[in-house]
Amino acid sequence: MLLLTTIVGGAAFLWPFFADHTFSEVHGQDLPWLFAVVLGLLALVLLSQVTSVGLDAKQVAVLGVLAAVGGALRVLSAGTAGIEPLFVALILGGRVLGPGMAFLLGNLAMVTGAFLTSGIGPWLPFQMLTAGWVALGAALLPRVTGRAEVALLTAYAAVSSFAYGAVMNLWFWPFLSASAAPTGASFEPGASVLTNAAHYGLFYLATSLGWDLARAIVTSGLVALASRPVLRTLRRAVRLAAFADA
Amino acid sequence: MIELQDVAVTYAGAARPTIAGATLRIDEGEFVLVVGPTGSGKSTLLRCLNGLVPHFSGGTVSGRVVIDGRDTRDHRPRDLAEVVGFVGQDPMASFVTDTVEDEIAYGMETLGVDPTAMRRRVEETLDLLGLASVRDRPLAQLSGGQQQRVAIAAVLAAGPRVLVLDEPTSALDPVGAEEVLAALHRLVHDVGLTVVLAEHRLERVIHYADQIVVIDGGRVSPLRHPADAMIDSPVHPPVVALGRSMLWSPLPLSVREARRAARGLRGQLGHLGHLGPVEAGGPVGPLGRSGHVSEPGADGPVTTPVNNEPTKAAVGTHVTVKRDGIVALDEVTVSFADHAVTAVMGRNGAGKSTLLLGLAGLLRPSSGSLRVMGQDPAQLRPSARVGVVGLVPQDPGVLLYADSVADECRAADRDLGAPPGRTAALVREIYGELPGDAHPSDLSEGQRLALALAIILAGSPHVLLLDEPTRGLDYAAKGHLVGLLRRIANAGTAVILATHDVELVAEVADRVVVLADGQIVADGPARSVIAGSPAFAPQIAKIMHPVPLLTVADVSAALEPAS
Amino acid sequence: MALVAHSRHRMVHPVAWWAWGIGLAAAASHTTNPILLVLIVVIAAWVVVERRELGAIDAFVPFLLIGLGAIAFRVVMTVVFGNGIPGGTIILDLPSVRLPSWVAGIRLGGPVSLEGVVAAAAEGARLATTLACLGAANALASPKRLLRYAPATLYDIGTAVVVALTFAPQLVELAGRVRTARQLRGHSGRGLREVARIIVPVLSGTLDRSLDLAASMESRGYGRVPALSRRQRTGASSLALVGAAGVVAGLFGVMSPSIGGVFGLPTLVLGVLVSAGALMVGARTDTRTAYRRDPWRSPEWILSAMGAAVALSFLLAESRGIPGMALAQVPLAWPELPWVPAAILAACALAIPATPLPPRLAARRRGLTHVSPPQGEVS
Repeated sequence: MLLLTTIVGGAAFLWPFFADHTFSEVHGQDLPWLFAVVLGLLALVLLSQVTSVGLDAKQVAVLGVLAAVGGALRVLSAGTAGIEPLFVALILGGRVLGPGMAFLLGNLAMVTGAFLTSGIGPWLPFQMLTAGWVALGAALLPRVTGRAEVALLTAYAAVSSFAYGAVMNLWFWPFLSASAAPTGASFEPGASVLTNAAHYGLFYLATSLGWDLARAIVTSGLVALASRPVLRTLRRAVRLAAFADA
Repeated sequence: MIELQDVAVTYAGAARPTIAGATLRIDEGEFVLVVGPTGSGKSTLLRCLNGLVPHFSGGTVSGRVVIDGRDTRDHRPRDLAEVVGFVGQDPMASFVTDTVEDEIAYGMETLGVDPTAMRRRVEETLDLLGLASVRDRPLAQLSGGQQQRVAIAAVLAAGPRVLVLDEPTSALDPVGAEEVLAALHRLVHDVGLTVVLAEHRLERVIHYADQIVVIDGGRVSPLRHPADAMIDSPVHPPVVALGRSMLWSPLPLSVREARRAARGLRGQLGHLGHLGPVEAGGPVGPLGRSGHVSEPGADGPVTTPVNNEPTKAAVGTHVTVKRDGIVALDEVTVSFADHAVTAVMGRNGAGKSTLLLGLAGLLRPSSGSLRVMGQDPAQLRPSARVGVVGLVPQDPGVLLYADSVADECRAADRDLGAPPGRTAALVREIYGELPGDAHPSDLSEGQRLALALAIILAGSPHVLLLDEPTRGLDYAAKGHLVGLLRRIANAGTAVILATHDVELVAEVADRVVVLADGQIVADGPARSVIAGSPAFAPQIAKIMHPVPLLTVADVSAALEPAS
Repeated sequence: MALVAHSRHRMVHPVAWWAWGIGLAAAASHTTNPILLVLIVVIAAWVVVERRELGAIDAFVPFLLIGLGAIAFRVVMTVVFGNGIPGGTIILDLPSVRLPSWVAGIRLGGPVSLEGVVAAAAEGARLATTLACLGAANALASPKRLLRYAPATLYDIGTAVVVALTFAPQLVELAGRVRTARQLRGHSGRGLREVARIIVPVLSGTLDRSLDLAASMESRGYGRVPALSRRQRTGASSLALVGAAGVVAGLFGVMSPSIGGVFGLPTLVLGVLVSAGALMVGARTDTRTAYRRDPWRSPEWILSAMGAAVALSFLLAESRGIPGMALAQVPLAWPELPWVPAAILAACALAIPATPLPPRLAARRRGLTHVSPPQGEVS
């Protein structure tokens, strides 16, 4: 299920590169909305599947509280360029919780942020998915300990900051594809993958590289500084909560 | 209703059981009080009653716990929800939703109660706990007492016949605590609920209890009559301490009973004089604070000069502070002497914390001036400020960041510019040995306070501020704190504490400043301000009134020359 | 006044407001006619002012600002990169740079035509208006209320979100206290290192509370309803998988008609339906109940009908090529107004008389004017 959602998600972001010429020309403007709806629905189905075994009270509480950390950080940092400590919560939280819970955490943190600001918009499903990926990635990184783990997570924080920006920009890029699009940086329906990739690259450079750079610096800096004590605190909590009974 | 048969609980990794030998039979409609020092296993016993131990917190339980015919071995807490309601210490941490009505309905929603029945029960519960007027308010905007009543309402709505409460008032101010206890009293007497309650401020609850269970070092006593139990209980309120030292029998549990027993004592000590009416800065009773050593553990007689032009360590002149558009302090002029302990009292919202924050340099007055050791604390850099004024906040946990006690001490030495090892030495001096590898969150309230206090003291401040330091402390930890604060004051520091705890004030304060609505309404020696006040008088003062004695030690000392 | 008071102040079902808002948003995404777009924003704003949910965060203005940002962004991009509109009216001539061929020989700067800028602004305005409509939905019915109507299969997730929403303000407050405490230990509380320092106590404090919360939830019966039986679960899972697979297949079919042929769209729709079905299957067996749900009565029907009608009329008008739905780019011309969609759009403003005044707004108005008697006495 996670795989299928990821495929749909990938399609949602990457369709401008592959979609059929005529189709894109006619429906290019509607597709991002269509994907927002479809992706939102699939995210819900995925969430219901992941939790169909029933989360116990502790899991719900820990997830809820960590999502609150993420959501609150998002609200606090709203509008400050690049300062997105949310990523720290996602990466470190995801690292400790393990893949399934990590993906949930990413989703929930974004939902919480959106609810807190009453900001449910078409971008939310995309953010949920991408944040889920970021947290999932942290959980899937190889197991190392001590300084190596700090270094690994710091590097991952930097990489994922850029990746998040690049992927998130993709979803609204096609809005530029209408007849009045700026030349050279916009989506050209029917053009080759390479052309469009080059166009997108330019678009990305022009619009969000600066922000993502700031985000990468802040996030990896915070991860480098805070990851050791934070991971220990989180692991202690997970240990305390792990009195699973039969 | 509740039956425990030889129950013992051992947590994983622990060498010996946390509680053992618990055999109790609690009948319907009883109000049972569980008493014992911090860490004696009160919480564990209470959590056994609804199956949180072992199903939630882990541990191995031997023996049997049967509630209304259901064995907790086969029933998880959630299966017992309509039999036992469990309420914890911090109401805000127990809320799932954010408005009163939703919170009360939440439990019934998960239990699948039919919507019409649910609507009716919510209304009934709102009335039962007097919450109807705040039904659609956000929980965060309620007072502590209201929040705790919502927490009780939230478990009651599911219809349990037993209510288990783990220190429900320890995080509340006296007014809030009174509200909660009055509500519980009504539930027992009018509704016939069975209540099992743990509490360490015994003076608040002991007269409500039908039966008492004493836990000491994990040994659980059988149910006992309160007056019998108090004869040898390791924890007891001041009224019991007086009764025990006077060998009164039967032991009085309330001020009213004790006043009857103390008739002769008051006559014997009548020569100490009568208390005049209390005025702001009014005349002092004939007995000065410095007349005798009243605190065990003070190193030498307390020689604080009360009226002899003490050095002014902190001075506020016409200080006005506005917070969120409300005047929190209104033209307050006050000064604090060094070598002395000053207590700042008053209702919640009277301006106590604001005054402390101002003195600590964390708030800037909108007009007037604040000077600590001749400097404006808000102008000082934080690194310079720690040597002038130190504040121990209400929740000492916010001062702690490291993941072990030893790390915390090392970090504090660096932070405050103290020589390495100073904080650790202070911790030993204040508390004794703390486990160096323990996580600060695993410490008891008393240990956490000791650690926070050591950190602040490592900066060697001239003025030490404490905001509500006794919240969650048991009698032993409080006694310890009293001795410590006296020693610190005797060493020359100005100690200022904001507190609701009249017993603490009676034990430790030289001077009391009472705030109301941001203004000073009384300011004078502790004895004259609190002894005659119905709101602020400690238990002993109420018993001995009009003889101006505040503590058991005062009474014993006053008797000594006579005998 | 008497009419409204008679029907008693109540909250309108949040789903109805969202249907209304999404309908308007869908309509907006099918036109570039500035008159229609402005009309949509005006109607949305008017309804928000009259019927917004007090106490929730007002999302309308921020969404409007994001929309304005989108317009500005489009215009700036057009000025810098130029666009394909063959406009004759040059309003600005920037120095131009031609980038090397590996970036596709893009030209930066150069002449800027009025037609190009107007077209870009109209495209931006379309996006902005769509966003404004969603902002209106957020302001009219806070997403938190919407959460109560999530299907029961999402109950755990919904609870986690509710917990998160309850905790977040407490967290912000705790973070403030920890920052103050940093000063007590001689730090300034500013800078990246300080932020890193604050995270630990905040986190450990909240995690400890989360355990208390879990104990409280457990004691109150959380999780008592057994999760679905194994058979139901496999049923729901396979349904979900089939649905998702259908969606994937359908999407690729839609995007590349050469492979998928005519089956693309039906497969997609089917996939979506099956997925939604998977959500509902579990909900049926759930025994949990809900407290004081908002009823679904005539105002709710009217609102959702309005949303559907306006979206449909714009969609049809655009696909039929009715003049005035799109802004004429070359040559620039003031667009005419397509009457039918515009009339249906105007009818959406009737949402105000069709719905009761929300209780809090009503209370505030009473408080402000002191004219109307309290509601009980009117009826």
